[in-house]
Amino acid sequence: MLQISALHSHYGLSHVIQGIDIEAAPGEVIGIFGRNGVGKTTLLKTIAGWVKPSQGAIRLGGEALDGLTPDRICHAGVGFVPEDRRIFPGLTVEENLSLGLLQVKGRSSRDEKRVVEGIYDRFHRLGERRHQLGTTLSGGEQQMLAMARVMVGKPRLVLIDEPSEGLAPMIVAEIFAIVRELREQGAIILLVEQNIHEALSVADRFHVVERGQIVFSGEAENAGDRERLLKLIAV
Amino acid sequence: MTAIDYLQFVLAPQVVNGLALGVAVVLVALGLTIIFGMLDVINMSHGEFYAIGAYAALALAAAGVGFWFLLVLVPVLMIPLGMAAERLLIRPVFGSKDRHVTTLLVTFGLGLIVEDVLKIIFGANTQRPPTPIPGASEMFGIILPNYRLFLILVGAAIVLGVAYVVYRTRLGAMVRAAAFDRNMAASLGVPVSLVYAGTFAFGVGLAGLAGVLLAPIYSVFPTMGRDFILLAFTVVIVGGMGSIWGAVVAGLLLTQVQALASLVISPVWTDPIVFGTMVAFLVFRPQGLFGRLGHA
Ligand SMILES: Nc1ncnc2c1ncn2[C@@H]1O[C@H](COP(=O)(O)OP(=O)(O)OP(=O)(O)O)[C@@H](O)[C@H]1O
Ligand SMILES: [Mg+2]
Repeated sequence: MLQISALHSHYGLSHVIQGIDIEAAPGEVIGIFGRNGVGKTTLLKTIAGWVKPSQGAIRLGGEALDGLTPDRICHAGVGFVPEDRRIFPGLTVEENLSLGLLQVKGRSSRDEKRVVEGIYDRFHRLGERRHQLGTTLSGGEQQMLAMARVMVGKPRLVLIDEPSEGLAPMIVAEIFAIVRELREQGAIILLVEQNIHEALSVADRFHVVERGQIVFSGEAENAGDRERLLKLIAV
Repeated sequence: MTAIDYLQFVLAPQVVNGLALGVAVVLVALGLTIIFGMLDVINMSHGEFYAIGAYAALALAAAGVGFWFLLVLVPVLMIPLGMAAERLLIRPVFGSKDRHVTTLLVTFGLGLIVEDVLKIIFGANTQRPPTPIPGASEMFGIILPNYRLFLILVGAAIVLGVAYVVYRTRLGAMVRAAAFDRNMAASLGVPVSLVYAGTFAFGVGLAGLAGVLLAPIYSVFPTMGRDFILLAFTVVIVGGMGSIWGAVVAGLLLTQVQALASLVISPVWTDPIVFGTMVAFLVFRPQGLFGRLGHA
């Protein structure tokens, strides 16, 4: 269970997240939508601990995450796939993946190997390029690696920021297939996405953010809610 | 003097002496460049940590500890010192905007304090520990001091060991990742604060080890870190700030240039050549020879 309540955060004096409440249960995909600059990325960064919340609470399975450092938040079961993927350019594909393994403590190296082999079976292109540096991957491959890197840690909550940005439609479909897999593993997913159509195909519910606040919440299946969403997002 | 004589009695010993100095400089520069690559901190007290290592070896040797044991003991003792310095002096100012200047000044101040403390405790006189491995060996008709040969071998082993850990292990991947992108590394579970402190302490330990190894050759005095650190900084700049292989290549090349130049021109010109190289790099290739730790 994820419970975010009355969350606020700042960049210096600028008040970006202005009181956000979100609840989600395991296996739920929550879409976070909104125009440019409303604070979607900042919301994810605040949950991940990159930006310290100035007020409010974040709880995952009863454990308080607010105020913890990003590595503690990771170990509490939060995986983060940030915008721009943030693949380490000086690390190989395999080394990038091996860092994801750190999220789970006390796994034997045989188990770890099995998990990584599973990823290579699932993503052939990563397997073929396992010894190449992260920088040599295409945008789509980097996005897959960023998602796979989080997958190997078996997170309970996954934060994904605009995974389809700059990718060809075929790759986008693959990326959303991965989101579905994560959901099937029972993770809670907060998905920030500009590609509303694709996002609604995986999301159960969604929130629309404006100036750091949720102004509308709806169900992905509900036609009325979808219409309202498109109106709010339209520029 | 025939050409063979020249090779045997002048050129070859000079190359080996240059190599020994090169290895020595690389050991000091290695800690400096790793700390910079990781924390973006220019550790101005690095030379004084090198001096602390040398004095610790001197004091412990006087207390009866053998040289071989010192090689392990001193670096191990330096690690908590490095941890403390990182925790007390670097971390509190790490989040501030002008931390580059602040950490530079703070570590510079620390270096001055250490120099004075060493002077108070051990006096200002130069001391020279006995050579741990006396004698010389003949190879291909060239006579070479044993201790310098030992230094070259140990230095090479340390450099290879460090490179192995950094480039071939999971710990090394964590270090490179944290050096490149602190937040992302942390969000994958890398304990970045610990990695930062550990890297700083490891660099300090390397400086201490260099102090133990070099004391028998270059003597021990409170300001011993100063001369050496200038050369080490040059090596780090030419090799590429934060690059391990850069420090190695630049360290060996510059000391050879120094050694060989002094055969053909007056030794007063070796410093201008070495530091001129540094200035030329800063102007024409500020990124140095090699890329930074964690960067492709
Ligand atoms: N590091 C920063 N320092 C100061 N202000 C920032 C910083 N990052 C973002 N902001 C500001 O905070 C606000 C929210 O930014 P954020 O990146 O969260 O928006 P977003 O909803 O993700 O936008 P987009 O759709 O363009 O990705 C913006 O006004 C932005 O200019
Ligand atoms: Mg954004």
